[in-house]
Formats: sequence, C-alpha cells, structure tokens
Amino acid sequence: MSYLDVPRLTFTGFFQADVSTINNGTGYYDNDAFKPEFQQLGFDGSWNPEGTAIFRLVECTVTGARLGDRDITDRAQDPVIGMALENADDRVFGKLVDLDPQQQMVSQIWGMRLRLTDGVERALFAGDYAPAAFINLWRRQQRGVQGDQTLAAVYQSVLRNVVWQGRSPSKVLEALQRASEQDALSINMNVYGFGRNPAIPRYTMGRVAGVIGPYRAGEPKHFVLGRQIVAQQIFDSSAPLAAKNGVFTFQCKVHADRKTVTADFGNCLRIVDADGALVDVGPLVLAVSKVPVDSVLTSVAADQVAVLGNVSYRDAYWYKSTAGVQEFDYSADPWSVAHIGERPLLLLSPQPDNAYKVLVQESLGGLYVRADEYVYRLEPDATGEVALHVTSFGAPLETEIALSANVGAMGGGGGPPPPPNVTIPDIATPDSGVSYPDSIKSGPDGKAVLKVKAGRFDPPKPRGYIAGQLYGIGYQLAQQPAQTISNFWNFITVFVYSPTRPAPQPTWLADIQPILLQYGNLYPIMSKHLVRLGDYDSVVAHLDILRLAFALPIGDPNHMPVTRDLSDGDRALILTWMATRGADGLPLKGQPPSPAALEAVRPQPAAAVPPVAVDLAPELRRGKTGVITEYLARRQMKGKP
Amino acid sequence: MIKLPRSIIEGVQAAKQPEDLYWYLQNAVELEHSTIPPYLTAMFSLKPGTNDEIGRLIHSIVMQEMLHMAIAGNILIAIGGQPQINTDKFIPKYPGHLPMSIGGSDFKVGIEAFSKPLVEKIFMVIEEPEHPIPVKVLEAAEPEFATIGEFYDAVKKKIVELGNSIFTQPKEKQVLSWFSPERLFPIVDVPSAVRGINLIVIEGEGTSTDPFQTPGDPAHFYKFGEILHGRKVVPDPAGGFAYAGDPIPFDPAGVWPLKPNCKIADFPRGTQAHTRIAEYAYAYSNLLNALHTAFNGEPGRIDTAIGLMYELKMLAVSLMQTPLNDGSGMTAGPSYEYIDRLPV
Repeated sequence: MSYLDVPRLTFTGFFQADVSTINNGTGYYDNDAFKPEFQQLGFDGSWNPEGTAIFRLVECTVTGARLGDRDITDRAQDPVIGMALENADDRVFGKLVDLDPQQQMVSQIWGMRLRLTDGVERALFAGDYAPAAFINLWRRQQRGVQGDQTLAAVYQSVLRNVVWQGRSPSKVLEALQRASEQDALSINMNVYGFGRNPAIPRYTMGRVAGVIGPYRAGEPKHFVLGRQIVAQQIFDSSAPLAAKNGVFTFQCKVHADRKTVTADFGNCLRIVDADGALVDVGPLVLAVSKVPVDSVLTSVAADQVAVLGNVSYRDAYWYKSTAGVQEFDYSADPWSVAHIGERPLLLLSPQPDNAYKVLVQESLGGLYVRADEYVYRLEPDATGEVALHVTSFGAPLETEIALSANVGAMGGGGGPPPPPNVTIPDIATPDSGVSYPDSIKSGPDGKAVLKVKAGRFDPPKPRGYIAGQLYGIGYQLAQQPAQTISNFWNFITVFVYSPTRPAPQPTWLADIQPILLQYGNLYPIMSKHLVRLGDYDSVVAHLDILRLAFALPIGDPNHMPVTRDLSDGDRALILTWMATRGADGLPLKGQPPSPAALEAVRPQPAAAVPPVAVDLAPELRRGKTGVITEYLARRQMKGKP
Repeated sequence: MIKLPRSIIEGVQAAKQPEDLYWYLQNAVELEHSTIPPYLTAMFSLKPGTNDEIGRLIHSIVMQEMLHMAIAGNILIAIGGQPQINTDKFIPKYPGHLPMSIGGSDFKVGIEAFSKPLVEKIFMVIEEPEHPIPVKVLEAAEPEFATIGEFYDAVKKKIVELGNSIFTQPKEKQVLSWFSPERLFPIVDVPSAVRGINLIVIEGEGTSTDPFQTPGDPAHFYKFGEILHGRKVVPDPAGGFAYAGDPIPFDPAGVWPLKPNCKIADFPRGTQAHTRIAEYAYAYSNLLNALHTAFNGEPGRIDTAIGLMYELKMLAVSLMQTPLNDGSGMTAGPSYEYIDRLPV
C-alpha cells in the first residue's frame, strides 16, 4: 500500500530549502585555488552562500482527504482538514543535501521528522522521514521572475517510527492508523516554484503539494508498485527538460478489488508560474487502450479506447485538495474490469473527428523496472545492495535485468566556471571503482537484488582535490520493446568514498586541516559564524560540540558534516585526532606535510574534462538548471544530438 | 543594584519542607534563563570579524548563565521537583520584567542589538553585585528590597536547615554534561547544593573583595564594565581596581541594525522577515522543549538541545541580514516567543 491507497490525506503549503550555493561549483573544492570572495553573495551568481542546508515545511496544512469512496474537503466532514503538518518540535530542522558538486540531481532530505497537529495535540502522529532524493525533474513552470527555479520534481518516501498519540475524532486518521503497517506511512511531495532571488519574498522557499497514505511492509518506499506512464523528455537547449507533449511522467495504481484506478497527476501537468495555477490545455482523459500497443502512439480512434474519465484538473480546488491524485471507478465497464490488467493506460486529449491525441502512455508492454533507492554511498570495499522491482502492467515479472554504466547528467563543473587553473575532474574513473554483474534476474515476486561492490582507490583520490568518486549504473530489461521510452532519471548513483590514509597519530597540519579547511571554504555559515574550520585554535575551542557532531550517525539531523560526504574513515580519523592529546593537553598540531606527502594526499585529478561554454545568467548556473545546461553543452560537444 | 521584593526572601525563609522551595527554585531557573535571550541577541548582532573580543566576553557570560540554569534545575530535581521549561510562562515578555519582579516595576529588559547604552543601562544593572568593588559610586539599596545574592543566600540557608534528607532523587536524573565536573556536579546532599549555589553567586557577582570570579576572569558585572569602558579590568597600582588594561575595541559599524523587540506578528505573512523570525522562534521553542525533556528524566537529550543552540546561531545570521525594507534601514531581529500550539 502507498499514498495511492485509501485513506489518504493531502497537504499543501510551502517548503524552505536554505541550501548553500558555493558547493555548486566543482572547482571551489580546490583548497589551493579558493579565495575569500567566493563566499560573497552574488559572486558569479552565488545566490545563497551562507545557506544553512535546512529543509523544512512551512505553513503546510491538510487541505483534502479521501476516506473510502469519499472526497473530504471541509472540516465539517472530517476534522483532519485544517490540521498542520509540522516539523519536529524538539530537535533541529531537517537538511537538504546535494550528493556531490558533480551529482546535484539527487539532492536528499536528511534528518527530517514530521508531525501532524490539530492545535491541541502536539503530534497526533509523528514520524521520521526516511532519507530520500528527488526524482522526475522537469520544466514544469512556464513563467518565472528572475532567478526562479522553473524545474519541479517529486520526493517519495516513508515516515518511519511513526508514533500515534492523543485522541482525535477524525475518521480519516483513525482509518489511516488502522491501514498502516510497521509504524510507517507513505508520503509523496510534489515540489515546485522555488525562489532563488534574494530580493523576492519567496527566496529559498517553494511550494509543496503532498499526500500521506498507508504503507505496507515489503513494498517499495520511493515509488509505487503500479502502472508507470513514462513521458519523453526534451534534451536540447530549446526547452531543456520539458515534456514532449506537455505532460510528464506519472504513476497509477489499479485496485482490482474495488475496480478503481488511482492516478497521481501531481507532478505531470504544467503550471503557469510559481503560484502553481495549472496550464489549461483543454479536457484530459485517462483511458485504457483496447488493443495491444507496441509503439509510441500519437493518436487513437475513440473506439480503440475505454475511457476511465476526465482528469478534473480544471476544477478550482482540485489540485489543492488532492495534490493531483484522482480516482477513476471502472466498475460499470465490463471490458475494463476484464482487461485493465493487460492493456496500457493512456492520457488523451480529445480531438475533433472522434479521435484522441495521445499525450503520454504507459510503458510499452506495461514493462517497468525500477531501483527503489537510487543513491548509494559506499565505503571502500563495501557492498551495496540495490533492491529492484520488475512489473508488467503492475504485476510482478520474473525476467532478466541488464546493467551497464549510465551516469545521467553527472560530472562537469556543476554550474559556475572553475577558478583559474583549476581543472574539472572526470567521473566514473577508474573502472575498478565499482563492480557489478552485467545482468541479474528477478524472482517470481518481481524482486531482484543487485550487489554493487566498491573498490579501493590507489591513489586514494581519483578526482584530486575532491575526495571520492561518482559512478552511475543504468538498468533496463534485457528484453524490451524497441521503442521503449526510458525515464532519464532511472539509474543508480554510486558515490565511492576515498580510502583514508592510515595515521596512528593524526595531526592537525598533516591530516585534519586539509579535510576541514574545504568545509570551511564551502560553508561560511559554519566558518564565519560558528567554528573557523580551517583554524586549529577555533576548532580546539569547539572540540566538544564537534566531537559530538562528527560521532553522530548519518541519519541524525545534527550529523557533521551536514553534506554527508565524509567517509567513515575520515570521520574516525578526526575523532581519533580529537581524542589524542599532546603534552599541552590539546590535540596534536604537528608539522605541515612535505610537498611530496601533500601530492600523495591530494594529487591532480587523474583525468580531467575540458571546459565548456554555458550560455546562462550567472544565478541560473548555480543549481539544477545550470547543471542540465552544462550537461547538454557537453553532450553537444561530444557530437550527440 | 538589581532588587527583588523582600517578600521573596521571607517566603524562602518560611519554607517548612522541600516542596515549599519548588516555586523559588523554579524561579531561579527562570531567572538564570531570563538574561540569556537579551545577552545572546546582543552577541549575535555583532558581525563576524568585528568586535570579536566583545563577542567572546558576552559568550562567556551566556555560557555561565546556562551553567547556573542547569545547577538551579539540578537542585530542584534533586529535592523532587520538576523544572517547567517548555511553557509560554517560562519566557519573560520582552520588553518586560524579569522573574520575581526583579529590578522593580520600572526596570524592563528588551531584545536589542548590542550597544554600549544597552550594556550600561540594562546588562550592568542586571549583574550589579550585592557588594560591588568600588570602581564606581553606587546608590544605597532600599531596605524593602533584597538582592539576588540575598535570594540565593536564603535558599542556601534553607537547604542547610532542611538537611540531607531532602535529597531524595537519584543523580541520574540530573543534567551533568557539557561543563567541567568541577562546575557542574551531581547535587546529592547539602554540601553539593551549597557548592552549586556559591558557584552561581560568585560567577555572577565575584566576591566582596575582588571583581574576579577566578584569577583573570572577572565576574559578569565587571566583564560588562570592561565592554562599556573599552578596557580590561586590572589591579590599580594605587590600590583597588581600574578599567585600565588591554583595550577592548568597539566598532559601531560591526553591529547588525536590528529592530528592537521584534515579534512574529509584526511582520506580514509571506515576507522574508516573517519566514525567518518565525523559523527562529520555532527553533527556540524546540530548544525549550528539548531542555524540558532533558531536565525531566532524560538528561541525554541535552545533546539535542546543544545542537539546537548552534542552529539558533545560524538562524540568527540570516535573520539579522534580512532587511525590513520599511525605510528604516533596520533588519529583522529575533523573537523569543514560545510556539506551543499552532494557529490552525
């Protein structure tokens, strides 16, 4: 079960993503080239250099619910309407963190706890948001003010360790608690309308429309095991990341027991501007093809489809009360009852002459494979286990999955141009950084586990001034129809940490400062206002709090570093240094490393990529739009269309 | 000199059993806390890289106020009480009176950016000792009022009088981390409670013969005096003490121009200032929630509270850089409102 089951509740409001912007530039990771002016607001488009990484919901309230076959939009129907979905009230806010300057397209929420409050009970339920990365990024917003992020995306995850308390007369909540398993809830958030311009009220804020529903153990946490409608996305500079027919990828769930399809249009319809009014493209119809489909359709005749119903997106309060999730009852249509499990779903636009334009259709053959989690951080020699699910029209499929390198839009300068004389390291090299089989098989339950083994880099830093290395693993069915449209975002990102140089008695100058100075450069909110991370005296003066933060598990909201990009080995090294005291009772300062030792620790990148011109306003180069524009420019440079 | 109604002292003196001291110790916790928001705000308002020495001095005072709050809380816990920290009533209404009407009806403490008049007219009045070292001339205390030192002295005497048997609670309930064990220790009997109270008084006031709480480290009043006079306090060769040591420079340009006494309701919803001030008050309320849990049976939660203290500092940075855009040239300042139940 998931947020596409009942009961469910809709929440809408704002989110704040107070992300920092210096770490968007790959070249800024080079300590030797770093200059204080890189930390200034506006430097080369840096729109939030002192960002705190906080991610939190702001003024989110329950604006709709579904209980049984009833839509609930008014507090008189159920008191859940108007309740607030709030952040934790006894610890710090959650954090939003890029994986790496060369992979900014899987930004993850960490350490967020959410609670539902009715103004009397502090938390009718509260749960920990399982760390999740966004997916299905696309150009959803058509107009914006300067600096607006016109891209939108989805976060799907679960709330874990859910505790229910207090009493509420809400039947929706009572039913939700009863339907949920393992103290977990499914939660989906559509995010859009993010403001990056320091002069506008929406600065660091965007809009969120989400749904919370039951979760059943063993099911995927980050997508719905259902029917997948996959749009073709535009990858050229004319309209990068737009959806080909203006409608993007979405997922549906067919509930055969109650003869209902639940579709999630929350992130697939264009919006006019950051306020989120939907672009009116006339009537939209969800239908089932009556004939088998083995190609990408452009139009269908009316007698070739069984219409499930109109998408209600033109109703004034539809999006606010549903976040785009709509049910279609097909119990009155015997053909659909008999065949919906074997024919593709289509989203159609009615045309004259008894025909429909096909805007987007279910994956060919209903075939779909998906890695539930798609971001892995692996220590040297560690093995990650990736859970994959294969379905055909939503039913489990036993088949072969082919695996190969696919780095998506990873790599490059991350947006802003590098400082002079700094080269941009290549990613996914050396080949030995990860190993995995060419193919694996799913079982009768459609599940497969891919084991990805990390290597141990020697020299330890293939990227020179940035620790660790990025790899991407693509997956698809070994046998798939020729015209299959793949979702660009469906691949596995693997970040392999660099091994830590053994140092039984680590010292500040030789071992610790090179690590912490980089954080001090990139995160002035820390280094200017809390602890000067490159400075021995300042670090020593804050030893207790730093020791606590570096020792906390990665899921703790106070974990250091906030960016979660420091290996266990390096964190252990720092903790060892903190615990080992010299004759003066303080951690060892030591001697500066020799140039040779420095070169061993921090060589030039083993492989570099050439610079590429990106035609974009500076503030737009910091972030997703910048990354994708650079990616397209590099693709063009390589001669790909 | 800061004063409180003599009836408070009489109330302490009239106590017959440990329960009778709960209200007074709760007020001690509130009193020690009540100075932290104004001090912290003044400290946060100093721009990084300027006024660093002033920032360090205020920081050392804030840290001691936190320690004193913990000691008072631990004494209350040790004799069976339960500190109430996460309530609206716990926080003074800034600008307003301190707990127990301290300072009199005309003494109001607000939330403002750092300035020397703030130090002189408010902070030094709060911290003025019972028997100040004659660095300056003082008015005589009015007999119907008592000092904070007298208040703590009365509590101490009452604890001595009630004896060791009032310490009924296991020390595991007390918050004992983040300060050295010499200064934050379990309160288990009369001597440890007396030692704790003495520490509060000496760190705050110094001794009656010396402005230093420990060698080289002046008591709060004299630290603020150093900031006001721009010099370290040192022994005067002619006898006594003088603000004649190393300079403590102040650059008025190195202070964020906060609007004093901001409240969330002052700012329209949807503005950056509203978003940031609400975020700050939310985190501050979370801090009180975490502290309350730590002082009510889960002392390990103090680590979470420490994390929140650092978060507050970060939030203050963006808050204080948020212009009000009302023609005043001022920026948003923090609010210490307890966000208990949300407006729905």
